[in-house]
Amino acid sequence: MNLDGRVKPGHDGHWSGTTQVGMRRRRHIFDKTRRTAAANLPEACQNQLHFRKASVLGAFIDARNVPSGTVLQPDLAIVGGGPAGIAVAMALAATPIRVVILESGGMSFDAKTQALYEGSKVGAPYLTLEASRLRYLGGSSNHWGGWLRPMDEIDFEERSWLAYSGWPFGKPELDRYFARAHYLCEGGTLLYDHGEKWAVPAYGPKLALGEGGVATRWFQFSKMKGSTLPTHFGERYADELKRIGRLSVYLHANATRLGVDAAGTRIEEIDVATLTGRKFKVKPRAAVLAAGAVEAARLMLASNDVIPAGVGNAHDLVGRFFADHPTPRDVATLVVFDGKLTPFYAEAQAVHGAVMRAGLFPSPEFRRRSAAMASSVTIENKVELDDLGKAAAAATAAALGVGAGDAVAFSLGGGMEVTPDPDRRFTLDADRDALGMPKLRLHMRLADADFAQFRRTLKELGRQLLVSRTGLIRLNLKTRDEWLDSLDWGNHHMGTARMNADPRLGVVDANLQVYGMANFYVAGSAVFPTYGAANPTVNLLALALRLADHLKGVLR
Amino acid sequence: MKLTRREAVIGASIGAAAGVAGVGGRYFLRKRHAPSPYDDLLALLDDRDADAQIGETVLAEIEDFDPQATADDLRARLAHNTLSGLMAEDASEGRLVEAGGWILPETLGALCALAAKAAA
Repeated sequence: MNLDGRVKPGHDGHWSGTTQVGMRRRRHIFDKTRRTAAANLPEACQNQLHFRKASVLGAFIDARNVPSGTVLQPDLAIVGGGPAGIAVAMALAATPIRVVILESGGMSFDAKTQALYEGSKVGAPYLTLEASRLRYLGGSSNHWGGWLRPMDEIDFEERSWLAYSGWPFGKPELDRYFARAHYLCEGGTLLYDHGEKWAVPAYGPKLALGEGGVATRWFQFSKMKGSTLPTHFGERYADELKRIGRLSVYLHANATRLGVDAAGTRIEEIDVATLTGRKFKVKPRAAVLAAGAVEAARLMLASNDVIPAGVGNAHDLVGRFFADHPTPRDVATLVVFDGKLTPFYAEAQAVHGAVMRAGLFPSPEFRRRSAAMASSVTIENKVELDDLGKAAAAATAAALGVGAGDAVAFSLGGGMEVTPDPDRRFTLDADRDALGMPKLRLHMRLADADFAQFRRTLKELGRQLLVSRTGLIRLNLKTRDEWLDSLDWGNHHMGTARMNADPRLGVVDANLQVYGMANFYVAGSAVFPTYGAANPTVNLLALALRLADHLKGVLR
Repeated sequence: MKLTRREAVIGASIGAAAGVAGVGGRYFLRKRHAPSPYDDLLALLDDRDADAQIGETVLAEIEDFDPQATADDLRARLAHNTLSGLMAEDASEGRLVEAGGWILPETLGALCALAAKAAA
């Protein structure tokens, strides 16, 4: 590499102009020179020296020190250093594939970088676009709750009653990667629904439910080693990423354009910019967009110099079908007549090498029979009943022939899947961000039918409580205004680059390859065609690991 | 301690008087309701006033509630089953009503609605 940052032709390393062997030979000389001379150099020159040293180490590189005009030529460029991007890079560690990760942020929160997420929204209420994600290494794993659960088999099925449903493969395909994804999340012993055999005997009875459509099932939790936090992927895996010889992680490196060839069939280059004004390019053999469902849509739509509709957008699907999990608070009140309930419902508990919490989920049979979307219910805090509630509990218990003297009431929280909706979408806005990229506008929609479906599932839970003479529930939300007033969100962005076996219905195919693009892939929950109710992180990681396997073959 | 015959007689008399007063007191102090055509059914409820409150919320969900037909239907069903049996049957078969959001077996909802009608 010249000091002006131009890269000479070459054959090895992430840098086409430098060989690993040559780098190692020169390293001690360089270090000695740096020690004696660097302090006297102007700042720009110091940056270049720092940059050269970093490139020699092949690890974390501050893109603000990369000279403008630099061209990187890795085998694979991964746009985004969140869980998906990190998982792909780590899965390729033992291969000869030279990988570059382009991460917009650094190692910690920075307000100016975070502001690049800003956009506008119209329609139904939703979070501001910069609120529910984090733009630094590790991405949104820096503020996630660590909830883990695999999606259900039915989530992958095409359902006649659910338009746009059906993944191009079934759950077993993802199951092959699930254990590895789970361990990346540091979820402990792989138990999930098998955990009941340890959890319930140790801590008391689970909620007795009569036969029906809702059952107790189990979440596990990420627990980063040496702390009680969920795994923050950037902090947790930084050292491991640094040890990967053929990986360079560029921090503060914002991908601003996907440059395609004249035929519009492959990614030729990725423009990278820093907030300090540096600009350089990456010319990879292949690229993975792992920037989250919102930024993935933005980059694909905004890269419209050759393909006016944007990259991968031949069928006007990019940015559509956006989804999140509404998580209404106090969606129902549960009364347990005898007041006895295993603590696993209200709080996560450690058992058998895992941290687990029980939830209430609709069964696949119920979902098929009732055309119900996926959902989950968690038992939250104890609540006091009003006079009507006390009367209802006493009258019901008495009429059922059971006592209610020890009855306890709990607030229930919920998480619900939404119906895929092509008009819940992102479009490019006229406003531009600090890097000159068009901002996004979210057109948010929430269907009353989705609330009604979840309500039916809750009613089924209430029915089963009566059958078992265990308790009863109150449905606290009925009107649209009540639902909207109680709404929180899972901060699970999904669906904007959906996967489908038919290019007219999907942005990516079963291998996550963008239709019409020979060397371009999308990783992360952007590709989810339907969303389930499970927290997406561990599932998108399984999908990312599967993509890495595919790339091993493609980039051999 | 040894009681004299006189003390034993006095004690027994006081006890008997207190017992009669207690039973009678409960009888005289119990809540009174105006007679209704459904008293035989409402006798199944522990707390008619509280249950009437539930019934008001049930009636709010039903446009054309017919108390007489409901009472006749309940009597017919109760002729062959207990209240708790009917409750379980309702729940099993999904015959439920909403009372201010509370999900209740239809039989209980109907009894509460009759209590509300009787109290009106």
